[in-house]
Amino acid sequence: MVTKSEEDQLNRLETQVDNGGGGAWEYLCLVRKLKVRRPDKVLKHGLAILNDFKKRSALGTEEWTLCEQVAIAAMDCHSLDVAKDCIEVLRKRFPDSKRVGRLEGMLLEAKGLWAEAEKAYSNFLEDNPFDQVIHKRRAAVAKAQGNISTAIEYLNKYLDTFMADHDAWRELAEIYISLQMYKQAAFCYEELILSQPTNPLYHLAYADVLYTIGGLENLQAAKKYYASTINLTGGKNRRALFGVCLCTSAIGQLSKGRNKDDKDSPELQSLAVAALEKDYKQRAPNKLPLLTSALKSLRVSS
Amino acid sequence: MAEDLVLDTAIRDWVLIPLSVVMVLIGVLRYFVSKLMRSAQLPDAKIVKEGQVIVRARNLRAAANFIPLKSFRARRFYYSNEENGLLFVPKGQAQNAQAQMFSDPNMAMDMMKKNLSMIIPQTLTFAWVNFFFSGFVAAKIPFPLTQRFRAMLQNGIDLSTVDVSYVSSRSWYFLNLFGLRGLFSLILGEENATDDTQRMMQMTGFGFDPTRSLGAEKDGLDIVQHDWTMPKFERRAESVLRKLVR
Repeated sequence: MVTKSEEDQLNRLETQVDNGGGGAWEYLCLVRKLKVRRPDKVLKHGLAILNDFKKRSALGTEEWTLCEQVAIAAMDCHSLDVAKDCIEVLRKRFPDSKRVGRLEGMLLEAKGLWAEAEKAYSNFLEDNPFDQVIHKRRAAVAKAQGNISTAIEYLNKYLDTFMADHDAWRELAEIYISLQMYKQAAFCYEELILSQPTNPLYHLAYADVLYTIGGLENLQAAKKYYASTINLTGGKNRRALFGVCLCTSAIGQLSKGRNKDDKDSPELQSLAVAALEKDYKQRAPNKLPLLTSALKSLRVSS
Repeated sequence: MAEDLVLDTAIRDWVLIPLSVVMVLIGVLRYFVSKLMRSAQLPDAKIVKEGQVIVRARNLRAAANFIPLKSFRARRFYYSNEENGLLFVPKGQAQNAQAQMFSDPNMAMDMMKKNLSMIIPQTLTFAWVNFFFSGFVAAKIPFPLTQRFRAMLQNGIDLSTVDVSYVSSRSWYFLNLFGLRGLFSLILGEENATDDTQRMMQMTGFGFDPTRSLGAEKDGLDIVQHDWTMPKFERRAESVLRKLVR
C-alpha cells in the first residue's frame, strides 16, 4: 500500500516531469519501487531516456532495469513493437536469463497467443517451481482466456504453498465475487484483514460481502465492519456511511417485532445520515434532494 | 613503573595502520569470493511452505480480534488439528531435522565452504601478524588492567615488568577482528561473510528447526483468547461521526 507522503511525492514528480522539468529517472525509480501502474508515462519518459544515447550511457548498469520497465509498460499500452525491441536488446545482453524469458512469455500473452504463453510458463515452472511471479502470470493467462475455474485452481494451488501473498488473496476474492461465491470471498477477505488489519479497504469489502450474503448475523457483522471502516477513515468514506444506513434498515426489517436489536449503537444510523447530508451539502448540493428522499425511504422501514 | 613509556610514532605508521588496512582488504576479498562461491541453493518445497505458514499463523495471532469468532475458531482448528493441522508436528519428526542437516550432502558442503572461508584467512592473518609484528610493544590501552591479562595481551613481550596496558600487536589484531564488523556492514551492506562472531554464535546454537518454530506458533495460537473488537469499533465510530457532524 502506498502511503500518503509517497503518493504526494509521486504526483509531484509526475507533474514536474510532464511539464518538461528534469527528474525523469527519479520518477521512474519511484514508480518501480512503489509498484504503481502508470504505463503511459513510464513508456513516454522511459523511451525518451533510452533513445537518447548520452542519457542512456549515464545510467550504466541500471539501463537494463529501465529496459525491462519500459518493456512491461509498452505491453500495457499495447505498443508491442516497442516491447519486442526492448526484449530483443535484453536477450542479446543476457542470453540465458530467466527474467528475460519471463518477459518473452508476457509478450506472448500481450499478443494474445495464450497457448504458447501457457506452454512457456509451464516450462519455466518445471525448472524452478518457486518462481512466484510466473505462477501468478499463469493464473492471469487462464483468467484472460475466460477460463475462470482453471484460474481459481491455479491460484488455490499457488496459495497452498505461498500463503502469505496478500495480492493473490485479493485477486482470488475478486474472482469469487465475480462468480457470486460469496462465502469463499468472505474467507479471502478475512485473510486479508488478518494480514493488514488497519487497511480500511479490506474492512469495507468484507462488509459488502457480508451484507450481500444476508441473514441477521451477517448483517450485524457487516454493520460492525462498516463502522470500523468509518473509524479507520475518520468518517470520510461515503460508501461506509451508506453501508451503515442500509444495514441498520435491513436489520430493522428482519427483526421487526423481535426486540433483539442490539443496543450497542442506537444513534449510528442517524449520525451516518447526518454526516452524509453534510457531505452532500458541501460537495454536490444539487443532489441533496435525491439523497434525502432515498434516505427517508430507508428510515421509514427501520 | 608508573612512568609512561614513549612509543615511537613509527609504530603507529608501520604497524597499526597497515594491519587495519590489511584486515579491511582481506574482509572485502572474502566477501567477494564468498559471493562467487555461493552455489544457487534451490529452496526446499517444504521449507518454503513452512515459512509461509508461520507468517500466516503469526498474522492470525496478531489480528485475531478483527475477525468474527467462528472464523477464528475455524482457522485455529485448521492449524492445530491433530491429524492434518498445518502446524502440528508429530514428535518423531522433530528430532530428524538436525540429523538430516548433517547427512544432507549439499548442506554439509555448504557449511564446510562457509567454515573454510572463515577459518583460512583468519589463520593466515594471525600467522602473518605473529611472524612480522611480534616482539615489541605496539600500543597502550587507555585503562588499567590486572596482571591476569598479561599472558593474553603481551604475548611477544618477554619482560614481566612492563605495565599490562602496553600490549603487543596480536591484541591489536583481535581488536580489529571484532571491531571491523561494524565497518563491514557499512561498506558491504547487511549480508556479508565477514560476520564471524555472529556465525560462531549461530554454530553453537545449531539447528534452524522449522519444526521448532511451528511448534512455538502452535502453542502461541492455542493460548490466544478471542475478543472481538468490532462492537468497540461501532461505538467509536459513533463518536467519530458525532464529532464530524458537529
